[in-house]
Amino acid sequence: MFKRLSLLLVSVTLAVSGFWYFTRPPAAPPRPPLTGPAPDLAGFARALAPQDFSLPRDHGPHFDYQTEWWYYTGNLTAATGEHFGFQLTFFRRGLTPGAPPQAGLSTNQIYFAHFAITDVAGGRHRGLERFSRGAGGLAGATGEPFAVWLEDWRADALNADGSQVRLRARDGALALDLTLRAVKPLVAHGDRGLSPKSEQPGNASYYLSYTRLAAEGRVTVDGRDFAVTGESWFDHEWSTSALGPNGVGWDWFSLQLSDGRELMLFQLRRDDGGIEPISGGTLVQADGRTVRVPAAAVQIEVLDTWDSPATRGAYPARWKIRIPSEQIELDVTPWLPAQEMQLMFSYWEGAVRVTGLSGGQAVSGHGYIELTGYAGSMQGVF
Amino acid sequence: MLTPALFKTVLRDAIRRPWQSGLMILGVALGVAVVIAIDLANTSARRAFDLSTEAVIGRTTHQLLPAASVGLPQDLYRQLRVDWGYRLSAPVVEGLGTAPDLDGQPVRVLGVDPVAEAPFRDYLGASGEFVPGLERFYTEASAVLIGPGMAERYGLALGDPLRVQVAERVETLTVAGLLQPRDERARRALDGLLLMDVGAAQRLLRLDGPAPRLTRVDLILTEAEARDLTARLPASVRLAPANTQAETVAQLTAAFQLNLTALSLLALVVGMFLIYNTIMFSVVQRRQVLGILRSLGVTGEQIFAMIWVEAALVAVVGGLLGVGLGWLLGQGAVRLVTQTINDLYYVVTVREAPLEPLTVLKGLGLGLAAALLAATAPALEAATVAPVTMTQRSAFEDRARQLLPWLFGAGLILGALGVAALLLITASLVAAFAGLFLIVIGLALAVPQATVWLMTLAAPLLRRGAGVLGALAARTVVKAISRTSVAIAALMVAVSVTIGVSVMIASFRATVVNWLDLTLVADLYLSAPVVGGSQATLTLDPGLAARAAAVPGVAAVETIRTVTVDSPDGPTSLVVADSQTRRSTALYRYASGDPDEVWRAMQAGAVIVSEPYAFRRRLPAQGGSVVLRTDRGEQTFPVAAVYYDYASDQGRVLISRGVYEQYWDDRGISGVAVYAASGVDAGALADALRATLAGDAAGAGLQVQVNRALRDQALVVFDRTFAITNALRLLAVIVAFIGVLSALMALQLERARELATLQALGLTAGQLWRLTFLETGLMGAAAGLFSLPTGFVLALVLVYVINLRSFGWTIQLQNQPEVYLQAFLVSVAAAVLAAIYPLRRLARSSVAAALRQE
Repeated sequence: MFKRLSLLLVSVTLAVSGFWYFTRPPAAPPRPPLTGPAPDLAGFARALAPQDFSLPRDHGPHFDYQTEWWYYTGNLTAATGEHFGFQLTFFRRGLTPGAPPQAGLSTNQIYFAHFAITDVAGGRHRGLERFSRGAGGLAGATGEPFAVWLEDWRADALNADGSQVRLRARDGALALDLTLRAVKPLVAHGDRGLSPKSEQPGNASYYLSYTRLAAEGRVTVDGRDFAVTGESWFDHEWSTSALGPNGVGWDWFSLQLSDGRELMLFQLRRDDGGIEPISGGTLVQADGRTVRVPAAAVQIEVLDTWDSPATRGAYPARWKIRIPSEQIELDVTPWLPAQEMQLMFSYWEGAVRVTGLSGGQAVSGHGYIELTGYAGSMQGVF
Repeated sequence: MLTPALFKTVLRDAIRRPWQSGLMILGVALGVAVVIAIDLANTSARRAFDLSTEAVIGRTTHQLLPAASVGLPQDLYRQLRVDWGYRLSAPVVEGLGTAPDLDGQPVRVLGVDPVAEAPFRDYLGASGEFVPGLERFYTEASAVLIGPGMAERYGLALGDPLRVQVAERVETLTVAGLLQPRDERARRALDGLLLMDVGAAQRLLRLDGPAPRLTRVDLILTEAEARDLTARLPASVRLAPANTQAETVAQLTAAFQLNLTALSLLALVVGMFLIYNTIMFSVVQRRQVLGILRSLGVTGEQIFAMIWVEAALVAVVGGLLGVGLGWLLGQGAVRLVTQTINDLYYVVTVREAPLEPLTVLKGLGLGLAAALLAATAPALEAATVAPVTMTQRSAFEDRARQLLPWLFGAGLILGALGVAALLLITASLVAAFAGLFLIVIGLALAVPQATVWLMTLAAPLLRRGAGVLGALAARTVVKAISRTSVAIAALMVAVSVTIGVSVMIASFRATVVNWLDLTLVADLYLSAPVVGGSQATLTLDPGLAARAAAVPGVAAVETIRTVTVDSPDGPTSLVVADSQTRRSTALYRYASGDPDEVWRAMQAGAVIVSEPYAFRRRLPAQGGSVVLRTDRGEQTFPVAAVYYDYASDQGRVLISRGVYEQYWDDRGISGVAVYAASGVDAGALADALRATLAGDAAGAGLQVQVNRALRDQALVVFDRTFAITNALRLLAVIVAFIGVLSALMALQLERARELATLQALGLTAGQLWRLTFLETGLMGAAAGLFSLPTGFVLALVLVYVINLRSFGWTIQLQNQPEVYLQAFLVSVAAAVLAAIYPLRRLARSSVAAALRQE
């Protein structure tokens, strides 16, 4: 997913230069001109061809590739009826190829993580971020057994192949402690897991997902503790990709439908108003079979917008998604309009609910959507 | 009180006698200049230190400090941040090195984690610009960020190599970025700082390895959080407020700087003599005018005020000049003081010595106080004399003569007070200096009466030796005792200071030489250049000792480890020895048993402490103990002996390696002593060791020194330490010389008529010169004679009181006759030299004009 790759690159650059500009008074949110050199890809492996995956090893880090992330999102319902959305994401950025040296705090790996909870009943969304070097046990990832962590925000495998994990994150009065169990098999997006980001060979990632995990555990919001159950989505992606010249932002959708299907869609928006032709997605059938969805097969219509008072970003806030070939016609609405991640780099990432038709049948559902490039163009940032 | 008319009188008077005003101004200026110069040096060093620590401390409120200067276990930081959730925490690795290509200047390596840094430090300014090569900062072990000051001074640009020596290893680092400080202050703070990634700094400073370490962890905590954390910490670490460490380090130099300040005040005291002398002379010279003024109804208070105002004017002008001159002198003094601080205490880079308003105020204030104090006696004199007697020319000298016994008595009382202060207030260094000053001033007050006695004794001898002129010379000195005695006293003070300081330094040096000979018993020493005195922990390649032992011709090796360990009394320098260094009994000041018994006690867990340590902690001669924080918590160690040690004025604790390794996890070494097999030449062995050990580039900075060379090196540092003292001593002599010059000039000018009368009676020019030289020579000789006992007393006080209280060292007093002889000759020569100008002036004036004057 190019969208996340770009986000990752932006954030890493910010994290690194954060060292510099963080010293400004906090009253003025940092938004420095990023005029750094293009990332040095030399020596990193590229995603050129489909390859076989081995679990749980491939849940772990791929230090030969420059960037990698582990993305957990989901919709949860408390026993008392409250609805919550959550996001816990770990990013890895290799500054040089290869595994980090095991000496003191030396490292070539930077990790960062985003953690958010949407409290629908309370009408609140809170997003947090952390950064750390990948050394000394402060942050890191392992494949056998699978674990990824940044300080005390962590995901740990509960079984051998890593299809069950425990997620934990806490920061002050906001906390998450969930057990996730994959209820559908691992999905390899694109061509057997190779997901191209542009026409250029190598500008692609390896992209694996558990599109439906049963979630159970506890959520703490403002110090109030809720027992919750729900559904989660896990993305794991690694790549070494250069940046496209014309992108201004991207929209990404992960939707879980009541008929047992899941839909992943992304569209890369260009500065000329068009969409990159490489955009598209994957439809996962109830039995776990996957269908590639090309961009041309999808119509996404924005029905409403929401203006962020903090960043003045104008985000889409309601959609009509049609895939005529699959008899899909969905109304997608955010649980809350205000689910903007106002972090070092601002974007919108939020829980949504879905109603409509799938295979001609009435369905409901929920999911997560990510929107970038609305609070200021991404162009010029690169 | 002082009417404008009287004030004008003062001004006109001062202008009409430019030479005397000039000399008074010079007296104040020189005294103030010396004080300012030393103050400048002291405050600049302190300020530079504060600035650099301030920049490094940033917004840190607390620091997690290790038991020993080798550092904290790195995992404690993970525990702190990940398990306990103290997220306002940052790992810090700090150490010292030198930059061989940057004039060998000391550099402070600061290793930080950029992602943890933001809440703590902003040496980086607010430019917000992306710094090229930043990613390399993390990943390249050689990447270093430097400030613009260093970059500009040495023409360093991005990507340039920068060689740094840490311990024996010389590494080539790369300038990966230039820091952009937001202001001049921050810019200065970055001077000498090499900012690295924490991991790279660990490697450079040898803190990586299987049990990686951090120098400390910086934290931002509330007091409540700090209490909670303290309860959680293992006993081997301590949570301390952020400024304590820096404060302790800054305290190290307190005694050294106080000594310098006291010495600089001596120059001011000598300057006071000069002011007193000149003002007294002007009072005498104007006695007629003053008498007329009194007759006209001017009150005594007004006369007093006139004299005081005159002194104040002189003090202000002289003080301002002194500030300027002091600033110039200060530039040199800063270098000398900084050098000593770097040699003995901690690393500080002082690039400039800006004049602080406080320093200026202090200088001007002291100058004014000195001038007013010195003017008080003449002013009282002028104010209390009755109008009639005031107009009589001999009245003043008569009064002065009557005063002599009183002065003598007062001097003795002051001296006794000084001795009492020295003996009774034993704890205070300031009291010791006060006692010293009282003694010096007391002895100076005794000078006039002593001079009269001396001249009375000398007159018959002079008559026999030099005829009438000789007797005349002796009589002149007595006749003008109010002025001659001041010149003699000033010269005496300056010369006796020279004697005292010289004897002290020579005694100290001889003691150190003797001690070095007893201590340096190995044939060769392997070490790295010490940076930052006793505070730095140098860690050599741990394999060095084994490699050295394998070199043919080596009989045995011993390792030494120097670290700073935490203790309830503050940081303590700990020396770890791995075997008995065949210690001589003479090295022990107090010991429970012979050296073998002491060593056995040490292996059983006792320590021995250096004399300054025992002095500072007030340890008893027998049965004392030392509490140190170890990696196993606080431990009490019995003290088996107190040993002589002149290497550190903070004191050191010596522990056996076996006991050290039992309580501390550190296994590093700081030096290796090598014993040559019998029949092996030490020089040849040194070459062999150099070839074997220092051949590789990483070990290029390893010093392989024969016994003798190390001893010489120690003495070089010793001599460097006293360079500033020597400079000050010289300044005091210069001030005294000017004092004598001015006194003689005044004297000769006043005597113009008398001398003219003598010339009219047939005194030839040659005889005039002889007479004058006889007079000044007599004065010089008197000063020289008086300075001998005074100098001896000063030396006694310096050696047995000041040095002991400042540094805790026992010094064997060694009197060198040549020092005394030299002082006497200098004294006579200074006096004779000072006569030349007045004589030349006198020779140019006409006898008739001089006779007409009155």
